[in-house]
Amino acid sequence: MSATDYRRELDIRRYPMAVYVLVPLAALVLQAWLPRILGRFAYFDLPLLVVLYFSLIRRHPIHGTLLGAVLGVLQDGLTQGAIGIHGVANTVCGFLAASLGVRFVVENALLRVAMNFVFTLLAELLVVFVTTGVLGLEMHWNLLTQVLVAAGNAVIGLVLFPLLDRLQSRN
Amino acid sequence: MESFFSRHRNVLVLLAVLLAQIIGLAVQVRRPARRAGGAQPNRVGGTVASAGGSGDGGGVMLLRLWAAGLVTPPERLFHALNRGVVGVWTGYLDLVHLQQQNAQMQKTIDRLRLEQAMLEEDARQGERLQALMHFSQGYPGRTLPAQVIGTSGNLQSHLLYLDKGSADGLRTDMAVISADGIVGKIRDVFPHTAQVLMINDQTSGAGVILEKTRIRGILRGDANGQTEVVGILADSRIQPGEAVLTAGGDQIFPRGLPVGTVTRVVRDPDRSAFIDVILRPAAALDRLDEVLVLTDLQSEMPPAMQKDMAQSQSEQGAAASAELARELARRKAAEEMAERLPGLTQPGATTANGAPGSNSATGSNGTPPPAPRPIPTLHPDRFTPGYDPNSGSSSTPTEPTGDAPAASGSGKPQKRSQP
Repeated sequence: MSATDYRRELDIRRYPMAVYVLVPLAALVLQAWLPRILGRFAYFDLPLLVVLYFSLIRRHPIHGTLLGAVLGVLQDGLTQGAIGIHGVANTVCGFLAASLGVRFVVENALLRVAMNFVFTLLAELLVVFVTTGVLGLEMHWNLLTQVLVAAGNAVIGLVLFPLLDRLQSRN
Repeated sequence: MESFFSRHRNVLVLLAVLLAQIIGLAVQVRRPARRAGGAQPNRVGGTVASAGGSGDGGGVMLLRLWAAGLVTPPERLFHALNRGVVGVWTGYLDLVHLQQQNAQMQKTIDRLRLEQAMLEEDARQGERLQALMHFSQGYPGRTLPAQVIGTSGNLQSHLLYLDKGSADGLRTDMAVISADGIVGKIRDVFPHTAQVLMINDQTSGAGVILEKTRIRGILRGDANGQTEVVGILADSRIQPGEAVLTAGGDQIFPRGLPVGTVTRVVRDPDRSAFIDVILRPAAALDRLDEVLVLTDLQSEMPPAMQKDMAQSQSEQGAAASAELARELARRKAAEEMAERLPGLTQPGATTANGAPGSNSATGSNGTPPPAPRPIPTLHPDRFTPGYDPNSGSSSTPTEPTGDAPAASGSGKPQKRSQP
């Protein structure tokens, strides 16, 4: 199978509508619920992981942008912070991930780990940048924590992405 | 032109979405600053924790309501499932009666620990009797138990979601505590859920006092989710292990509730003259299942506490009445002794209770009366003590001096009332 045929075969992969609704919702719920179990060791960002996955798989920058914006805004809605901080970060990550997915086939597990790490770190740094640089608000942050969150997302993505791959429907 | 839009459609959509969000952010950040008059600098989210509530606009509040409405029902389901599974194991498989009794006793211990903390703080101020009368001032009258069903899911935002809301009587700025110590305060209230801002969040704030050194400071969280007391000048008396209590001046937390224990003291990186006192919170903030919301701070003790207080007073009352009987017996014996020694009392002198002529072996304040001195002699002769035949007069103590007046307290010699 040539690379073009492989891309085309990938392009016709679709998901049931319920997956588009339930998976982001489950990510939001688990992101809010799991810290109760894991305490301060909840180093992950599941909504961002879902945004990255759908952006990479769908390869549509506008979809990635909108999905990132919606999930980011909902994430902000669960915090006491201003609405839109995570929205901006997830929007940018969704757009970049989808743009990358258009140019490259991201099926390799190692590549997915690296991309999840980099995009999560980028999102965390964007949150800091928007809060302190754009809005001029006071915010203490710890780079080690951001790196741990990125590493956590990379590891979870290693397990989660193959599981989500199984949900796609082939026409 | 059309080809430009179609060619750059993706980027244009991205820019439009980003622009919309940044405008929304700018509006949110600007609004609270206008309301507060710029008195306090904005922190994360632009909504500094204040006594006035969240301060969000209507649109932002609606978004938060949607987010909470979307996430909390599944969270509630997860929580119920989790509790069900755990409940089946602990309630039916794992030593049924022992577990239940243990849970009951643990509840009693937690309640008594809370009462003990309240009582100890009053005792330290040396106002035991007055504090008994006004014990309930500044302490919660009513509490509402609530289940923790979720968090914000963000390491920078230390929030909890409770399964009670405005329909259950919760309002913003109510204090949230556990049996071990304070947890936070209610920030936003929805119909059936409420959002709690924990004390280890960067935007939280509470007035606290160090138990031994009585140094006051402001409790807040740092970037790592640790609780710290800031705004304290460097003081070598602050040592690890010292307890920290609520100061009670913030109109949210009653005074005397445990906050945590000092673990270490570090220098404030921004202000060299100040230190940051890092605490270990008394409440297990990352493992909370049930909390108490102080719904009313009226000065009325809970029934269980009133019962405990009455029992304690009755036990102390028996001991006090026995002590009082012994004291009365001692006084009576002293008065009888004084009646048998009438010469020790001067005529017209009043006793402690104001009755003239009555004798008393003790002074008004319980101290023994001064030792009697001989009455000065008007016409000394050779038999008078201290008589000097050469001078023909007696010396002290028969002759009063200016700087040592007689025992009567006046400069004039007095006649003896009885021979």
